Amino acid sequence: MLSAKDLMKKILFVLISFVFLTSWMVVKPDQSEEFAAKIKVAYLYNFTKLIEWPSDRKQGNFVVGVLGNNITLISELNKMAATKKVESQKIEIKNISSSSEASQCQIVYILPDNSSQLNDVVNKAKSSSVLIITENQGLVKQGAGINFIVVENKLKYELNKQNIENHKLKVGAQLETMAVHDVK
Amino acid sequence: MLRFKYIIIIGILVVLYPSVNAQVDRVSKAFSMLQKGDLDSAKILIDLAVVDVETINDGEAWYVRGFCYKSIYNSREKTNKQSPSRIEALNSFKRSLLVDTSVANVSENIKNIKYLSATLFNDVKTSLDSTNYLVAIDDFDKFKEYSILVDTSKANQKQNDINFLKALASVYTQIYESDRKGGNQFLSLAKATYSKVLILDPNNISANYNMGILFYNQAVQLITQSDIDIDIVALNDLQDNSIKLFRESLPFMEKAYQLDPKRKETLLGLSGVYFSLNDKVKSDLYKQKLQEIGN
Repeated sequence: MLSAKDLMKKILFVLISFVFLTSWMVVKPDQSEEFAAKIKVAYLYNFTKLIEWPSDRKQGNFVVGVLGNNITLISELNKMAATKKVESQKIEIKNISSSSEASQCQIVYILPDNSSQLNDVVNKAKSSSVLIITENQGLVKQGAGINFIVVENKLKYELNKQNIENHKLKVGAQLETMAVHDVK
Repeated sequence: MLRFKYIIIIGILVVLYPSVNAQVDRVSKAFSMLQKGDLDSAKILIDLAVVDVETINDGEAWYVRGFCYKSIYNSREKTNKQSPSRIEALNSFKRSLLVDTSVANVSENIKNIKYLSATLFNDVKTSLDSTNYLVAIDDFDKFKEYSILVDTSKANQKQNDINFLKALASVYTQIYESDRKGGNQFLSLAKATYSKVLILDPNNISANYNMGILFYNQAVQLITQSDIDIDIVALNDLQDNSIKLFRESLPFMEKAYQLDPKRKETLLGLSGVYFSLNDKVKSDLYKQKLQEIGN
C-alpha cells in the first residue's frame, strides 16, 4: 500500500517523465497562405511605385479593387492600406463584385477564380487609367497589364507594356527589367 | 651482520605499524562518524584517508567516502542540481569499483551509482527549460559518464541520448520561437541538435518533422517579417532565400511522411511547404489526405 506521500512522488515522477518525453512535439507550421499573400501584396505595392498614373488619378483615394474572394490576401492588402500611401494618396481596398466598378479603381486585381471576367473588366475600363492584375497563365495576352506566374516555385510576374500604356499609365524601367516576359 | 639486519627490519616495522594502523583506523572512524550522523567529521577523516598512500587504493575507503558524500548530498544538497557532493560521491564509488573488484564491493558501489545517476537524470528532466538548459546539459553529460558504469546496454544509452537531444532541441526551438528576430543562434542550435538525433536515428519521425518545420517556419518568417515597403529587387532575393529554405525542409517532411503517412502535423506541414513553393497540385494532394484521415 502506497502512502499519500509516495503516491504523490510517483504521480510527480510520471508527470515529469511525460513532459520530458513529449516536449519536442510542440512546433507547428506557420501560415503558408499569409506568406503567399504577403509576397503578392509586396509586389503590388511596388507596382504603385513603379507605374505612373496620370495626374487626374492622383487625387482622392488610391483605390485597389479586388475581384474575387481571398480573405488572407484582402487582410494583407488592408494591412498595407493602413500603413502605406501612394505618394500622398490614402490607399483604399475595395472588394468589387462586378466589372462595372473597375473604372473607379486605380488597380483592379482579378483573382484566379474570377479570371473569366477579365474581358469584361478590360472593356469596362477601356478609357480609364486602371492597372489590371491577374493570376493565370497567358492573361497578359488577353488584356491584363501584369500577370502573376510561377517560375521554378517562385512567384514572378509577366508584363504587357502595351496593355498598360493603353490605359494611359507609364511603366518604370525597373518594373520591365524584373518582369519575366515583356510581351510586346 | 644478520642480527643487525633483523634489528633494522623490526625497527622499521615498529615505526610504520602505528601509521598503517592509523590509516585503517581513519576509515573505520569515518564510518563510525557516518553512522552517528556526524557528516563533517566523517568527511575530514575519509578525505585524509583516501590521499594517504596506505589507503589510496583501498576499495573500502573509497566506498566509505562515496557513502559520506552521498549522505551530504541527501541531507544538504538535494535541491542543488549541480551538487558538488553528489559528484564527489559518484567519483568515489567509481574509484572504489576500479580498485576493488570483489563481488560484494562491486554490488554495493553499483547500487549507489545507480541511485545517484537516477537523481542526475531526474535533475536533467526538471532543468530542461529555457532558463536552466545549461544545467541540464551538464547534468546529462555527468549522467552519461556514470550511468555507463552500471548500464552497459548500448541500446539504452542511445535511447537516452535520443530522448535528451530531442528535448534539448525542443527547448532551443522554444527560445527561438519566443524571439525569432533575436534568437537566430537558438535556431542554429536546434537544427544542429536535431541533426545529431538523425545521425543516431535517421528514422526518427518527430526529429524529421521538427527539422522540416524549422526550415519551413524560417522560410515563412523571412517573408512575413519583412516590410511591405521592400523594393522589388530585394523582394526577388528574399523569395530566392525562402524557396531555398522550403526546399531544405522538404526531404525531412517527406521522410516523416514516409515513416507515418497518417500523421496530421506532417500532412499539414507538407501541404504548407508545397503551397509556399507554389505547387498547388501537391499542396492540395496532402490537404486531401489530411481530410481523408478526418481533419
